[in-house]
Amino acid sequence: MLVVSDLHAGYGLSEVLDGASLTVKAGTVVALIGANGAGKTTTMRAISGMIRPSKGTVLLDGKPVQDLPPSRIARLGLAHSPEGRKVFGPLSVEDNLLLGAYRLLPRFFGFRKRAAGDLDRVYALFPRLRERRRQQAGTLSGGEQQMLAIGRALMARPKLMLLDEPSMGLAPVIVQEVFRTIQRLKQEGMTMLLVEQFAKAALAVADYAYVMERGRIAVEGSPAELHKNERVIAAYLG
Amino acid sequence: MTLSILAQLAVSGALIGLVYALIAYGFQLTFATSKSINFGQGELVMVSASFTLTLITLGLPYWVVVPAGLLFGAALGLFVERAAVRLALEQKSEGWILLTIILGLFLFSVAENVWGRDDRPFPTPISSEPIHFLGVDVTPVELSVAVGVFAVMGLIEVFKRQTLLGKAFEAISADRDAGELMGISATHTVMLSYALSGMVAALAGILVSPITTVGPTMASAMILKAFSVAVVAGLESGFGVVVIGMFLGALESIASYSLGSGWREAPGLLLLILALAVRPTGVFGKAIIRKV
Amino acid sequence: MWKRLLLIRGAELLMFALLIGVPLAVQNPYVLGLLTLLAIYGILLIGLDVTVGYLGQVNLAQAAFLGLGAYTAGLCVTRLGWGMPLATLAAIGVGVLLGALLALPALRLEGPQFALATLSFTALTVTALNELEWLTGGAQGLSLSRPPLFGHLLSAREFYWLCMALLALVWIGMRNLLASQWGRAFEALRDSPIATDAMGVGTYRHKVAGFALGSALGALAGALYALNFQYLQPQTFVYELTVILLLGVVLGGRKSLWGAFVGASLVALLPNLLSNRTLFEAISGVGFLLSLFAGVRGLLRRAMRPFQALAPIVATFALVVGGLLVQNTEDWRKAIFALMLFSVVVGLPEGLMGFASKFLSRLFRIPDAPLPAASPLEQVLPAKKERSGAPLLELRDLKRSFGGVRAVDGLSMTVRAGEVHGLIGPNGSGKSTVVNVVSGLYTPTAGEMLLRGRPLPRGSLFDTARVGVARTFQNLQLFTGLTALENVMVALRGAFPKSRSMPLVLLGLGRREEKRAQADALALLEFVGLADQARTPARDLTYGAQRFLEIARAVARKPDLLILDEPAAGLSHPDMLRQIEVIKRVHQRGVTIVLIEHHMDVVSGLCDVVTVLDGGKSIAEGTPAEVKRNPKVIEAYLGEVEAGPAASPVPTAPATA
Repeated sequence: MLVVSDLHAGYGLSEVLDGASLTVKAGTVVALIGANGAGKTTTMRAISGMIRPSKGTVLLDGKPVQDLPPSRIARLGLAHSPEGRKVFGPLSVEDNLLLGAYRLLPRFFGFRKRAAGDLDRVYALFPRLRERRRQQAGTLSGGEQQMLAIGRALMARPKLMLLDEPSMGLAPVIVQEVFRTIQRLKQEGMTMLLVEQFAKAALAVADYAYVMERGRIAVEGSPAELHKNERVIAAYLG
Repeated sequence: MTLSILAQLAVSGALIGLVYALIAYGFQLTFATSKSINFGQGELVMVSASFTLTLITLGLPYWVVVPAGLLFGAALGLFVERAAVRLALEQKSEGWILLTIILGLFLFSVAENVWGRDDRPFPTPISSEPIHFLGVDVTPVELSVAVGVFAVMGLIEVFKRQTLLGKAFEAISADRDAGELMGISATHTVMLSYALSGMVAALAGILVSPITTVGPTMASAMILKAFSVAVVAGLESGFGVVVIGMFLGALESIASYSLGSGWREAPGLLLLILALAVRPTGVFGKAIIRKV
Repeated sequence: MWKRLLLIRGAELLMFALLIGVPLAVQNPYVLGLLTLLAIYGILLIGLDVTVGYLGQVNLAQAAFLGLGAYTAGLCVTRLGWGMPLATLAAIGVGVLLGALLALPALRLEGPQFALATLSFTALTVTALNELEWLTGGAQGLSLSRPPLFGHLLSAREFYWLCMALLALVWIGMRNLLASQWGRAFEALRDSPIATDAMGVGTYRHKVAGFALGSALGALAGALYALNFQYLQPQTFVYELTVILLLGVVLGGRKSLWGAFVGASLVALLPNLLSNRTLFEAISGVGFLLSLFAGVRGLLRRAMRPFQALAPIVATFALVVGGLLVQNTEDWRKAIFALMLFSVVVGLPEGLMGFASKFLSRLFRIPDAPLPAASPLEQVLPAKKERSGAPLLELRDLKRSFGGVRAVDGLSMTVRAGEVHGLIGPNGSGKSTVVNVVSGLYTPTAGEMLLRGRPLPRGSLFDTARVGVARTFQNLQLFTGLTALENVMVALRGAFPKSRSMPLVLLGLGRREEKRAQADALALLEFVGLADQARTPARDLTYGAQRFLEIARAVARKPDLLILDEPAAGLSHPDMLRQIEVIKRVHQRGVTIVLIEHHMDVVSGLCDVVTVLDGGKSIAEGTPAEVKRNPKVIEAYLGEVEAGPAASPVPTAPATA
């Protein structure tokens, strides 16, 4: 589904990614873990088009997308729930969700009817969002915003979902809830690439994992293999 | 000055002030999506009004002329976006300030030569017989200004809230990157905002022309007032521009009567400089958080 | 050294000599009038270039200052009976005063609003000039006759020489200014106003001073204008004039005295250009060919966006064709100016001089003036004896929220003098916010911050820098347009009193301090190992060198407390080791350091104490070794999992200590 080869990217003069490669097979959950500053978020942004890689390719379903603007990549079936969630603060919860399905809905009128089914599915997954459907997204708590960001990504009926640091800034209890949701989505067959600084949580839900260090993949393997790997631990705590 | 004169001046002034508010509203639309405004907006008002007048003199009926004028304004807005704004936005510079000024100057010159330098009257089917209302005389033409302004602002607000495209517009204004991730093209949204802004400017011209006549300099003075309103009200509050616009219009009208018509401009300009000094983000606007 | 002087000054001397000599050879009064205008516009545009070129703002008020200066001088002569020198001084005074009055509110604003404020000022000025008929004569104008200078009635030629002399003085003064601390400060505040404030160099006050200077020059030009034409009308000083002046500055070349001069020549010659059809066609034709050449070249080399390449071609083509088709070019003057300015802004943003200097610098290599020897380190960064361990920085229940998000939620922390205090935590834990609040970028929502027991200034990078707190930035905030040496020299500002005073610098005093500053800056570059790159522009340094430079710059003010925000971010391994060395060296000089980092080897190698943040609060504090073993810390970084397929116990002894 997604093949990233030899990706080089950065901001200005600093090259954060120094030849990263990874693969996500359809129907699986792949985790990308590593210390902060290793380049995980930069990888996500390079995949979804928010930044342009200086070298390397990104293939989505065999189609090269590394030079396309993010709106085009989104319309090809990629949904990115970005780091920091980035919900549309002044808009309501329901509006945020509807916008998630932008590529699928009629632009002017009739979109609410068309999206009703998808909305119901997301509300079933996140009942708390249904309660707050008219509330301004900017006033939701961190955990609720994360649910909204995931829900928004789901509304696009994506082929591939990128989840960037869903646990960031959230209390442990909420983090557990978020990962329960990710587990549910996995059971429904969603293909996901998950970037997390909480390695244990990510490894628990992933089918395969990559460990990033200084802009490159240092180690890869199944979660079981990685748990036994000393280098993984070293990549986190010095 | 008696109270009735004061009231009369205030009301007439406030109705004209609504035109400033409308132009300022146009600024808000483009600022929301792209953090830029068209410094040549006055010329857009003037050229659209002149074009509309030409259509009228060609004998076309009003129900054709007005929409045509509005579409023309929208097209001009798109032209401004493409020629003067997009390059600067791509380069993340503020070059659009100078470029929109230049474009405005160019349009002024074209208008001078195509339509001449004289002010021409704008015939309107609406009567100029004043209606007496609560001790104040208001003409239907002046009232039409209020109707037009509120109607168009209302329609655009409905568009923003009720259509998906309108919500996408708000989304890009709130967070451009996140909007792109949803598949919304930021560039197209900016184009839309400029088209709407141009249309709004055209409407302002059409509404005010029966009162002020049409000529190359018709909007030069108005535009500074609109800037004052936009800056004082902040570039983010729709309600604020209406209030400030009416207030400014009333103030000007009174100043013009008491100090002499040449001083008409002064309150607005002074207000602008003072307001900028005291609260740069405007009275209704929000404070900016810097990112490092 | 003589070669250098000869080349630069030689060209200037030659030009001035030529200009002064022309009226001796040519007796045509028309040419004389044109040259006088050239001198006046030269002064005017040099003034405009201060805000447009050096401060980088769109300034629409210069025409107003021309008018204000002109009317002030005119009224002093007609109403007060003053002579030329006093009237001119009065005009300059009005320029400075009104310039400062306008600048104080206007310069708090971002670009577009600043432009609006200056535009309003121009409109207000014209209105005042028109309406105050009892003073200015209103629309009918003001006539004056040029008073004698020291009893001698000046001929046209002598007046011209006077204007030239003033232009020369302005030229020299500006050159002195721009070569000094002021010029660097202007450049710095364009590249990074945040870093400029954080280095204790007030962005705002420099902008106000620069604007006032530019306005004063505008007013001086106005006085000469009045004395030259001896008749003034408010209609002259309108919006259209402002655009023409901008055309002059941009076409001539921003940030350049020569550019302003070339621009002034163009502005003076513009009316001729319009009236002479053949000349117009010739010049537009040349312009068209140039933009065609540049556009095609840019497209082929992929150096330009398509619009950038094509738009000037279209605009200049319109000029050529339009010139042939229209009956009267005078009627279309605004459109012509617009098309010219458009082509230049899009196609040749650096202006004619900018383009020429790039070309010339490839032909002539002017050797740089040699640098002085580096000052001794003790002078530049004295070793402090303060290792008492007394609390230097105290944070008590510090809070900062953004909307609903509590980024810092009750942090209490003490940093003791002489220690290296690490601040770590997962992403989103609030580390950067703490640093931004302490250094003054944000105001705290609640809580106290004390430096040596006294409250720290809040919400002002500038004030906080002035009490001895320096910082670096996670996203580099270097002054990319300046060299490495100049970056450090900007921060040295406070040390040199003479250089701070604009009048003294204009007169050329302060050159010795300049040498001292160079020596000190060189010593700091040596300290971080960048002495050999002193002359490299900061944007051309390698990423690692840029990070080292940030530290050299930060310690220039001899701070008591240095805050480093992820100094090793993005560094390669060898550079990271070097960075650790540099930080150690700074620490050895007695500077207390607060260090935010993710790289645990950096933290372990440097820090005496580490505070761990999570969710805006402190969850652990101790030595690096203690903190690494702390289960709460491990949980915060790695996360806990309820029931995983291979839930192994948390390792107690990491693989590397």
